[in-house]
Amino acid sequence: MFKLHPIALAVLFFTTAAHADDDLIQRVLVEGSRGSQIGLVDSASAGSIDQKALAARTTYRPGEVLEAVPGLVVSQHSGEGKANQFYLRGFNLDHGTDLATFVDDMPVNQRSHAHGQGWTDLNFLMPELVARLDYQKGPYSARTGDFASAGAAEVGYVNRLVRDVLSVTAGQDGYARVAVAGSPQPGSGNLLYAFEVLHNDGPFTNAMDYHKANAVLRYSEGYANNGWSVTAMAYASRWNATDQIPERAVDNGTLGRFDAVDPTDGGAAKRFSLSGVWRQTNADAASKVSAYLIRNQLALYSNFTYFLDDPVNGDQFAQPDRRVTSGVNASHTWHTHVNNRTVDWTVGAQAQNDNIFNGLTSTRARDTLATTREDHIVDTSLGVYVENLTRWTDWFRTVAGVRSNQYRFDVRSNLAANSGTTSAHMASPSLNLVLGPWKNTEVYANIGNGFHSNDARGTVTTVDPKTGAATQPVPGLVRSQGVELGLRTEIIPGMQTAFSVYRLDFDSELTFVGDAGTTEAGRPSRRTGLEFSTYYKATKWLSIDVDAAYARARSRDDQPIGNFIPGAVEGVGQLAFTVDKVGPWSGALRLRYFGPRPLIEDNSVRSHASLTLNGRIGYRLSPDLHIELEGFNLTDRRDPAIDYYYASRLKGEAVAVDDIHFHPIERRSLRLTLVRNF
Amino acid sequence: MSLRATLFAAMLVCAGPAWAHSFHAGIAEISFNERTGSTEVVHTYMSHDVEALLSNLYQRQFDMGEPEDQAVFRQYLERQFWINGASGRLPLKWVGMTADTENITVFQEAPATPLAQASSIHNAVMSDFLADQINTVNIKEGAGARTLSFDRAHPDHPFR
Repeated sequence: MFKLHPIALAVLFFTTAAHADDDLIQRVLVEGSRGSQIGLVDSASAGSIDQKALAARTTYRPGEVLEAVPGLVVSQHSGEGKANQFYLRGFNLDHGTDLATFVDDMPVNQRSHAHGQGWTDLNFLMPELVARLDYQKGPYSARTGDFASAGAAEVGYVNRLVRDVLSVTAGQDGYARVAVAGSPQPGSGNLLYAFEVLHNDGPFTNAMDYHKANAVLRYSEGYANNGWSVTAMAYASRWNATDQIPERAVDNGTLGRFDAVDPTDGGAAKRFSLSGVWRQTNADAASKVSAYLIRNQLALYSNFTYFLDDPVNGDQFAQPDRRVTSGVNASHTWHTHVNNRTVDWTVGAQAQNDNIFNGLTSTRARDTLATTREDHIVDTSLGVYVENLTRWTDWFRTVAGVRSNQYRFDVRSNLAANSGTTSAHMASPSLNLVLGPWKNTEVYANIGNGFHSNDARGTVTTVDPKTGAATQPVPGLVRSQGVELGLRTEIIPGMQTAFSVYRLDFDSELTFVGDAGTTEAGRPSRRTGLEFSTYYKATKWLSIDVDAAYARARSRDDQPIGNFIPGAVEGVGQLAFTVDKVGPWSGALRLRYFGPRPLIEDNSVRSHASLTLNGRIGYRLSPDLHIELEGFNLTDRRDPAIDYYYASRLKGEAVAVDDIHFHPIERRSLRLTLVRNF
Repeated sequence: MSLRATLFAAMLVCAGPAWAHSFHAGIAEISFNERTGSTEVVHTYMSHDVEALLSNLYQRQFDMGEPEDQAVFRQYLERQFWINGASGRLPLKWVGMTADTENITVFQEAPATPLAQASSIHNAVMSDFLADQINTVNIKEGAGARTLSFDRAHPDHPFR
């Protein structure tokens, strides 16, 4: 019979406190519950989602992993290799503007991108390596800078796998994927490798023929909080795109829902990166330094207006973009204990340089007809911040920070009038008050400033490259101001609930219109909204997620044209049931509602809503082998994935027609996956 | 009062405020079970420390109630702790573990192995992760008992 000497245990009785060496995880999980966020995050709209919760989700495309963030919608209006379109907190975030995204300590948003500011292509994401997703919404942290006004999401990769894995998937619409990942331990360190190849045609008449190859190789030593790693990534893809099509053509039978107007649209993307992270942590201090070198290359051919501008050749245009992004991030935290208070001081610096060659050309079937603009851009930034976390009592803590952002934009355009060098600076303070926990409940008050940088080209452009008309350069940085009240409670065992109300103002919604090569000086805006999310572990085998968000977005300058913001998301929601370990069975059902949005300023035209039901059933054949069937759009709804309203002209049409243009959600499809662990 | 209740009560009394400086420690009890003829080892570690260890190894959360996650800690512990005998390591088998929000307790045994065979102990559990980790090993042999202390600089001790 095992016995334990009580007296000998006394040596263990020396506290359990949070301290410098445990910032990765602070709560013990029992019986499959989700890790508590109480005491760990400083707003109701921030959180962390672990690997198991992410793996339980059914995702049609890699970027949809971000839909684990309550209120965030990830959509697609083109071919799969293109960056997704994001919606959050009353924003149509386009391809990532105002949503700062990081993967493995590297920024994903691409500044001054040919197609759109903050371009966020997550197709290089390797699901097998994802360890966790940390998110925050609103500009309340000094640690995040550019694009983080609506929110920030950080995907972390593992250094090693518990078990190596081989995954083989076959699905409808030409879907096939093979992935292998493992982590042998040569010598004192740890090697991590992962490789995937993927093909997908989608439901489109003009098959997408999306090819993707993706690889990760990492060497690490030590622990994540006391060690280092070096990582190489390589990703390449090519695809045909079915861009959005006019509703009138579908209504009159000219086009089918999955038809394309210009079958030569599409693109190719490549991404290579080399990065490293070093961390040192002890009870009194924590240091982290990371550096990265990223090579991105995109060829993108689009035609959104068909024959509006050029009735002979069509309106297809190309937006080539190639760049090298380099950067260094460093932070240091001191932990002190003074008069029964813990005080953490953190200082950090984030330097980034983008060396970019991009352009805008008119094309026909991908052949260049004319060059609208070509630019060499050097976009350089330095952000430094200081942050103070004080735990005044066991029920009150504050996080106060200030960040200084310095940018330099250097543009060499094919038009001398659109060349030049500018700079911009902005300071962004923030303050977070957290009261609690009382009965596993915390109350939050957050206020802060954020910003996004504008496309460097917009800061020096004085001549519209298409029309020759004079334009005004725009400021390099645009300020946002946010305020939020929130509540998080775990008072009911097994249930985690968060509620927040917020307001976010932007000085100006300046955006570079990559499709036209110009910058539109937008209007000042205000977004107010509320968000609710709850997770309930009803039984050992059943958990329920409910998220709902509503936002009201308006321009603040009250113009006759109307004050609605086109594309601004209003109501979204998710309801999910996840079943695990019912014998060898597991599964999930997830319903996603993406509500209607205003498509023009007077709100006279609104988008359709979409409702998507996805699900999966898994069966464990042996401890090393399981099989999973995923289903997408199970109710086979014919909803749009995305809607726009603008003028276009089809071949044969005499005049331009204002119309809704939509990209359909994919029809019902199934994918079968066999996963072997070894 | 049960052992577990004793443990909790003592922790309530002794634990400092939430911002107290931490002390990292583990306990292993080694004894011979005359009824079964086996050498038994009982390890106890703070759940918080084990979670931090595993999450810093694998960058994800672990649920120590899950058998597959327990297996990960087993793999680690068996790599960090062993008892040497005259002809190699004693055949320590994993019997099982219990986990709650405070402690993780691991049970090992070497079947049909008298304690007399033990010659030295290697204990680097947690000390490779936490610089200030101190592992105390209590040995009950016959009527006597003794205590050995292990840390990062001293992971090996003679058994006697």
